[in-house]
Amino acid sequence: MRGRITALWAALCLLLTGCGRMPYPREMEDMALLRTMGVDREGGVLALTVSTGPRARGLQGDQESALVLSARGESLSAAALSLQGLSDSYVFFGYVDQLLLGEELAREDVRPVLDWFARDAELGLGARVWVVRGSAREAVESGGDRGVDSRLTTLRADGEMGVASLSRTAGEVYADLLEQGTAYLPALTVSGQEAGSLKDGGYAVFKDGALAGYLEGEEALGLELLAGQSSVHMLEERTGEETVSLRVTASSAACRLTGEGRLSLTCRVAVHLEEYRHPLTASQLEDLQNRVKTREEGRVRAALDRLRDWKADCLGLGPRAGLTAPQVWSGLQENWDEAFAAMEPEVEVRVELHP
Amino acid sequence: MFQRPTDPPHPRQEPRIPQPLSLENLEQTFEGCADFNKRQVYLHGDPGRQVTVCYIGGMARTERINDYVFRPLAQDPMLASAPESQVFDLLEKGAIYAQKAERETELDQVALAIIDGSCALFFPGRQDALVVPVATEEKRSVGEPENEPSLKGARDSFVESLRTNTSLVRRRLRAPELKVKEHIVGRQSLTPVDVVYLAGIADPDTVARLEQKLDAMDIDGVEAAGNLEEYLVEASRTPFPLMAYTQRPDRFCQGLLEGRVGLIADGIPLGWLIPGTIDQFFKTGQDRAYHWMTASALSLIRYLCALVTLLLPGLYIALVTFHPEAIPVKLALSIVSAKQEVPFSTIFEVLIMLLAFEVVQEAGLRLPSPIGATVSILGGLVVGNAAVDAHIVSPAVLIAVAIAGVAGYTMPSQDFGNALRLWRFLLAILASLGGLLGLVLGCAALIYHLAGLETFGVPYLAPFTTGVQVRRGHPTLFRLPLPRMKWRDGAVHTQNRRNQA
Repeated sequence: MRGRITALWAALCLLLTGCGRMPYPREMEDMALLRTMGVDREGGVLALTVSTGPRARGLQGDQESALVLSARGESLSAAALSLQGLSDSYVFFGYVDQLLLGEELAREDVRPVLDWFARDAELGLGARVWVVRGSAREAVESGGDRGVDSRLTTLRADGEMGVASLSRTAGEVYADLLEQGTAYLPALTVSGQEAGSLKDGGYAVFKDGALAGYLEGEEALGLELLAGQSSVHMLEERTGEETVSLRVTASSAACRLTGEGRLSLTCRVAVHLEEYRHPLTASQLEDLQNRVKTREEGRVRAALDRLRDWKADCLGLGPRAGLTAPQVWSGLQENWDEAFAAMEPEVEVRVELHP
Repeated sequence: MFQRPTDPPHPRQEPRIPQPLSLENLEQTFEGCADFNKRQVYLHGDPGRQVTVCYIGGMARTERINDYVFRPLAQDPMLASAPESQVFDLLEKGAIYAQKAERETELDQVALAIIDGSCALFFPGRQDALVVPVATEEKRSVGEPENEPSLKGARDSFVESLRTNTSLVRRRLRAPELKVKEHIVGRQSLTPVDVVYLAGIADPDTVARLEQKLDAMDIDGVEAAGNLEEYLVEASRTPFPLMAYTQRPDRFCQGLLEGRVGLIADGIPLGWLIPGTIDQFFKTGQDRAYHWMTASALSLIRYLCALVTLLLPGLYIALVTFHPEAIPVKLALSIVSAKQEVPFSTIFEVLIMLLAFEVVQEAGLRLPSPIGATVSILGGLVVGNAAVDAHIVSPAVLIAVAIAGVAGYTMPSQDFGNALRLWRFLLAILASLGGLLGLVLGCAALIYHLAGLETFGVPYLAPFTTGVQVRRGHPTLFRLPLPRMKWRDGAVHTQNRRNQA
């Protein structure tokens, strides 16, 4: 009897949780499993362009070309709903793990898109995000029959291995925007219509949800150094009569606030001597170390100057440094953007040269 | 109101044969029994002194009757010369060359004794009989345990003979504290069932409850293991076994040393260990033979396999049909490519494949082993492969069902594996109805069910939750080095918990 009463209570509690409606079953082979989504602002409305990877057809292994769909709507949900009508299979957003944001949308505000990813039942904040310097639709369509997802997967893997720009998830970006009002995202450029047409385009920096500008070349490397995740890159330096190649393999960064409220940054860089003809003397090595230090310091300063111009501490240097001096930080926190723009941070780069 | 007529009660008659003891009544009792034999013998050839020997052919051993009974009766001159009134006493006290000769005065006792293989000696004019055991010992010899093979350990196995089985136990546990109490179960079978335990270690309350239940059993016969299991524990409520059994005497003795109470029935080559808690069904006879790390790893694998066999088909249905977003992308694409052109829904596919797996297994078991193996190969490989090639079944489903099936075979207890198979179906059906929600609810129901089971006053989940403030003893999922296993399981209520210095 007690068991029955317990079972009745359990059933009642279950219904109160809102689980009274059972989920609806769907066969996976009747779904278009979307991998990539591009979002643009086109003529005042939002445009969604989605793409699957190459779709398998049966056990024979022959493949159907990637499905690319595009729809417009006043809202993202409306555009997504329109997509359902364009395909002969159920359009499933659960596998969208690559989000491309068009430049026009980025200049306006990307937060609604990230918010949609956070709230939607199928989408998730684990998707990797890129800003396309141009149209996201163009980037999605550049994959052709094979789709763009394999190229983006490669870029993501390269970023994790340190041979391409750092990739970021929607969750990381949205958290940065909500907590510090600024964030950075890897940017892509589209060059042509063949596979591999998406190239690294530096980093896009956002301030209050809108694109503030791009960091490219030396500035982009400086941002990576400040983030403590420098991508592997080569340096060529002349020493004596010969040119030697150096590989920057790792970096880390630490920041602190001085008692006067000044930001102090220390970057450590590991550099390996890669190509040289003759063994280098101690003085040559020291000379090389100083030159690398000067170059890397220049990169860091270039990135910092640009970020200060935009009043965008997208790396969260202030909050991180504030942990070392909470009292000083409490005085700066209110107007950190202004303080960041006005101050001249101390930058120190320490180079470990491994011959 | 109309009431269905009920069957009249079925009272047990005591004594079974109410007539007084006499040769005529015995012959009447065994009337129509072709195997009943009697022979009149003159004592040392004296026609004035005769005795009638009764026995049942096949139950009594011919050589023993000839040597132990007929030879002294026919050749011992003392039997002819002694006063007639003393002949019975002389035979009872040693003139017959048998280990035992008992005087019986009731027909019931004599009839049962000759059924057991004794012979009964009747003297004219006397109201008693002399019963001499000359039973045949024709039985299967002690062989290897087929269901519990041993790689590193004893290779003997219980047989159908009760006394052989108790001797196998006694040879391992020579302590006089090993008690063997016999009960007769079954109106028609009159099967001896022995309760075996170590006095001073086993819980006397459990022993008493077991004996009480055995005495209360009023059935026709004990022909199968279920005849005991379903009467001694509340087996009808659950498919899970509540009494652990083994073919191996070494494992049986280990159970006795842990404080459990053993049960052995004549005619069934098994020994039961009571109470049967869930951990017993994951243990093997080899657990103590292997290195503790190996044994622990294998134990963990068995528990993991129990989860796999139980949950995998349901999980596959839930993920593929209801929650595809939870599947890694590459796996999802593989599943989609494998599922293309298959005309059935995933739910139907999985349930049908589970059913087909059971059919193939059952067919393989019922047939003689050479044909059974052929059926398994034909059913499993050939038909399975053809079904995949013809796009009738998706290979992913085939793999999921096969993994679940094979994982189930790692269960040391066939009964426990069978219960998991039943629940596997139920969980797959629940997953078909409600996805992961249905599966989780099914799992909750299973835990609720298991938590409600009890065997001889001990919770079924006792190793994981005793339900009382009793120290458990040792970890269940893995095995410690033996020198560190100093305690018997607390939930079994042993009298003496320490098992080593």
